[in-house]
Amino acid sequence: MLLEAQNVVKAFGSFKAVAGADLAVAEGEIVGLIGPNGAGKSTFFNCIAGDLRPTGGRILFDGSDVTDAPPEKHARLGIGRTFQVPATFEDMTILENVMVGAFLRHPGRGEARDRALHVVEMTGLKEQAHLRARSLGTPGRKRLEIARVLASRPRLMLLDEALAGLTPAEIQRAMDLVREIHGLGITLVIVEHIMEVILTLARRVLVFNQGHIIASGSPRDVVNDPAVIEAYLGRGHGRKAQ
Amino acid sequence: MRWASLAVAAALLLYPWLVAGTDSAAFLQDMGALVLLAAIGASAWNIIGGYAGQISVGHAMFFGVGAYLPLIVYTQWQLPPLAGVPLGIAVSLVLALVVGVPTFRLVGHYFSMATIAVAELVRIVMGNWDFVGAAIGIMGPATPRGWWDLIFRSAVPYYYIFLVVLAVLLAVTWQMQRSRLGYYLRALRAGERAARSLGVPVRRYKLYALMLSATFTSLAGSLYALKTGFIDPDSGFGILVSVQMIITAALGGAGTLFGPLIGAVILVPLQTATNTWFGGGGSGLTYIIYGGIIVLIARFEPGGLVELWHRLAALRLQRRGAKRHAA
Repeated sequence: MLLEAQNVVKAFGSFKAVAGADLAVAEGEIVGLIGPNGAGKSTFFNCIAGDLRPTGGRILFDGSDVTDAPPEKHARLGIGRTFQVPATFEDMTILENVMVGAFLRHPGRGEARDRALHVVEMTGLKEQAHLRARSLGTPGRKRLEIARVLASRPRLMLLDEALAGLTPAEIQRAMDLVREIHGLGITLVIVEHIMEVILTLARRVLVFNQGHIIASGSPRDVVNDPAVIEAYLGRGHGRKAQ
Repeated sequence: MRWASLAVAAALLLYPWLVAGTDSAAFLQDMGALVLLAAIGASAWNIIGGYAGQISVGHAMFFGVGAYLPLIVYTQWQLPPLAGVPLGIAVSLVLALVVGVPTFRLVGHYFSMATIAVAELVRIVMGNWDFVGAAIGIMGPATPRGWWDLIFRSAVPYYYIFLVVLAVLLAVTWQMQRSRLGYYLRALRAGERAARSLGVPVRRYKLYALMLSATFTSLAGSLYALKTGFIDPDSGFGILVSVQMIITAALGGAGTLFGPLIGAVILVPLQTATNTWFGGGGSGLTYIIYGGIIVLIARFEPGGLVELWHRLAALRLQRRGAKRHAA
C-alpha cells in the first residue's frame, strides 16, 4: 500500500472530529472522500497531509511512519496537496509559484524553471505564466495549486475540493487535467462535493459522517447505500431507499 | 531600463566629484555617505523584513553590536577598529540564533516582540556596563595611527567604502532572490502553510534570512562607528535605529532590490533638512515625519515607491495599448 491510515483519531478537546478512520490506498488508485459538511473529511485529509497531528492512530506512507511528521516532510516523501481555499503566493508570478514547487526536486534555478515551464504548459497556464497569481480568478488559482504540486513530482496528490466553484465547462477541463495527472502514474485522493466528479473519476469512494467512515466501495454502490443516503438527506430517506 | 540603471550607477560613482565644486561640498559629500549607510542598513533589514516578511523591530541589536565591537577592541586592547568588525558579525550571528531559534517555532508576532525585547535589554545592559563606557559610550582613535584605523578627514573615502559594501550587499541580495532561498523566502512570506506543503523548511529558511540580515546589519553598525568614531547606547541600540531601517525599506519598497536605496535617497536628505532648518528644537520632528510616512505607506502604497512605479508603468502600457487599438 502506498498510503495507510490506521484507526486515525483527531480530537479537539472532548470533540472527536475524526473518530477512528481507516484508509488504505494502493499505488495508482483514485480514491474519493465524500460526506456532508462537518463530517470530518477535511480534518482527516489534513491529518494525512501533515497539517494536523492525529490524537491517535498511525499514518504510513510507503512503509514510513509519518503520523507526527511536519508537512514539509510529507512533501519531501512525495505527498502533495491542494487547499480548499486556494493558497497561492499572490505577489509572485504564476511561473514563480510553480518554481517554488519545482525547487523541491530541482535545487538549481535553471532546472526548476525548466520543470515549471513544462508544468505550466501541461496545466494550461502558459499564456498567463508571467502574470501575478493575484490576477487569476478561482478556476485559475485552483489550476495553479495543482500545477505547483505537480512541479514537486509527487507520488500521491491530495486534492481538497479542487473543482468546487467552477462552471460546468471548467469542471470538464479540470477533470481532463486530473485524468492526465493520473496517467502520469500519480495516485490521487480527492475530497469533493460534486458527485459527478467523484462518480466519474474515483474507482473507490469512502463516505464520512460524524467522524466515522460509514461506507466504502465503488461509486455506484456507495451512492445507493441507505446509510449514505441517510447521512446526506436525513433518517426517513435512508429507510425509503431500503 | 538598462540606460537608466547605468545612469544611476554612474551618478553614484561620480557623486562626490559632481558636488565637489559647490559651496557645501563637504556637507553634501557627508550626506552622500550617510545615504549609502542608511541604504546598507535598510537593505540588510530588507532580507528578513522584506523578502521573508518577518518584521524585526529590534534590528538595532545587530547594528549596535557591530558598532560597539570595533571601538571596544580599540579602547581595551588598542587594536585597529577594523579587527572588531568580524567579531561584531560573530556576536550578531549568535544573537540572531538566540532570538530566531525559539521565536520561529511560534506563529504570529512573537518574533517582532522578541526582537524589541532583546534590543532594549541589550541597550539597558550596555548603558550600565562600565567596560563599554556605560551611558557615556566609547570613542575610537582621535588621530589615525595608520591607514588601517580607517580615519579620514574627508567623507569621500567613507563614501566609497560604503558604496563598495552596498554594491556587495545588493549583489548578494540579487543572487539570493534568484536562488531557491529567495523563492522560498517570498513563498513563506505569502503563506507559511502553503509553503510548508511544498516542502519548504520554513523555520530553517527564516533563520538563514535572519543570519544573513544580521551579518550585514552588523557591518552597517561597524561602518557607522568607523565613520563617527563614537558610539553610545542610544545611537547604537536605540529603537529609532531599527525604525529608521524599517521606514527606509518600506518607503522605497520592502522585498525589492532597490527599494531600500530609493528610500534612503529620500529620507536621509529630508532628515538632514529638518535638522538644519529646525535645529535642536526640531529633533522631535523626525518622529513626526516617520509616523506620517508609516501612515501614508500603510494607507496608500504598502508596496512602497517601487510598487507604485510598477503600477504606473503598467497603467501607461495599458493606455498606450488602448490608444493603438482605437487607432
